Amino acid sequence: MSKWYESNTSGIVVSTRVRLARNLEGIPFPGRMNETQRTETNKKIIDAIINVPSTLSKELKVVEMDTISDAAALAMVERHVISPSFARNRKNRRLILSDDESISIMLGEEDHIRIQVIKGGLQLSETYEIADKIDTLISESLTIAFDEQLGFLTECPTNLGTGLRASVMLHLPALESTGEVSQLADAVSKIGLTIRGMYGEGSGSKASLYQLSNQVTLGISERAALDNLKSITMQMIEREQEICKNLEKISLEDSVFRSFGILQNARLLSSDEMMQYVSKIKLGERLRIIKLKDENMPIKLLIETQPAMMALNMQVQNATERDIERAKIFREQLA
Amino acid sequence: MMCEQCGKNPATTHVHTVINGVSIQKNLCTYCAVADGYAGLHSGGLMNMLSTVFGESLAAYPSSNEKRCNCCGATFSDIVESGRAGCADCYKVFGPQLMSSLQRLHGKTKHVGKVPQSASGKVQIAACLQKLKEDLTLAVANEEFETAAKLRDQIKEIEAGEKHE
Repeated sequence: MSKWYESNTSGIVVSTRVRLARNLEGIPFPGRMNETQRTETNKKIIDAIINVPSTLSKELKVVEMDTISDAAALAMVERHVISPSFARNRKNRRLILSDDESISIMLGEEDHIRIQVIKGGLQLSETYEIADKIDTLISESLTIAFDEQLGFLTECPTNLGTGLRASVMLHLPALESTGEVSQLADAVSKIGLTIRGMYGEGSGSKASLYQLSNQVTLGISERAALDNLKSITMQMIEREQEICKNLEKISLEDSVFRSFGILQNARLLSSDEMMQYVSKIKLGERLRIIKLKDENMPIKLLIETQPAMMALNMQVQNATERDIERAKIFREQLA
Repeated sequence: MMCEQCGKNPATTHVHTVINGVSIQKNLCTYCAVADGYAGLHSGGLMNMLSTVFGESLAAYPSSNEKRCNCCGATFSDIVESGRAGCADCYKVFGPQLMSSLQRLHGKTKHVGKVPQSASGKVQIAACLQKLKEDLTLAVANEEFETAAKLRDQIKEIEAGEKHE
């Protein structure tokens, strides 16, 4: 079954992710609960989701996070299935996961329940609908911590209200090159959204990938938050396309073909270098400068050649072996 | 190093001011720093920001320091230090102290949107009304006037029912 990064990722919007934070009433939040409470709470939630007659339940399985290796957990972070903090602290933690990994429910992360749905492309209402269904299913048998005034109660006050964090991952090489991305950060913050670079430190991003998400969760309905995010996303797409049209054709083609050439021929490929060139061939594919066997290949390879993914799948021991192996994968896939 | 003002907590805020050539150094704990008006210095990360936000609540309600949440045992200073609530009940127990901070964090303090099935009938109706009003705005924007008329009637009906009760 194909994963989110294997389909529908060739556009400016690479993926969509929604997350709902929920807690059970009368039990301390994960940060303050003891192991007995953790075990009992996990069991209650698993019963409410898996051990009930529902078509959804059949697709889901439980992963005992304390039984998997560090590499397997980090690879899940690289595939955006779990959060880095959930990978770090896995003691007595459970993950409910669908076969295609589009649904992942973290038990005992910051909140008792973190429902996440991720899909390739721009699919805000589709992903939210699935998360909403799971949330409703849980609340049919368990009492969710809720307050009329503050909405869904969460460990971190930044999630109070709807507990909804929706985000889109955008590929913005043109907006980045003109420096407009950093100006946009100010503008979107005024309307309750935030944009940050992925795979980079500070506001930068190695593969020109940015994550746009809602920041405010209290006093704004799920639908309004999603509409807001969608409308800004559409404006960003439009602006990115507009700048692309005005790029100087020959230098654009040159940089795409050079990057393609390096990825097809390199014998050593570091992660940083890979990101830089993948971003160029992704842009080249989208603007029909080059034609790849599969238009989803740039993002698929970017995810599959992350360090933990490689450690898990190829048994590579050190950074040099990894760079050799990464170069080999690109040579074979882009041949 | 301990806070030079209260001598009780570790000094975490170090302030060096130079005014008209006179240099003054202060080593303060978070509480004293906030009380002295240095809250704005804590802007490093999100947790710092939250601590600062709640710290201002702490300065306004120093007496709440001793109170503990019955469910999880957290005190208000636990919440301030971690920037996190200990359990759902904490929001009830320390609600009044937290409210102004939450207002600053989100801009609003009243939930709008989905309510769980366990919520009271009144809350369910309010959520239903809010959703219908959103639908109505959307229908009007899309010039679907027949749908809009139906929605308006539904809203009127529910609102009339509420008044009747």
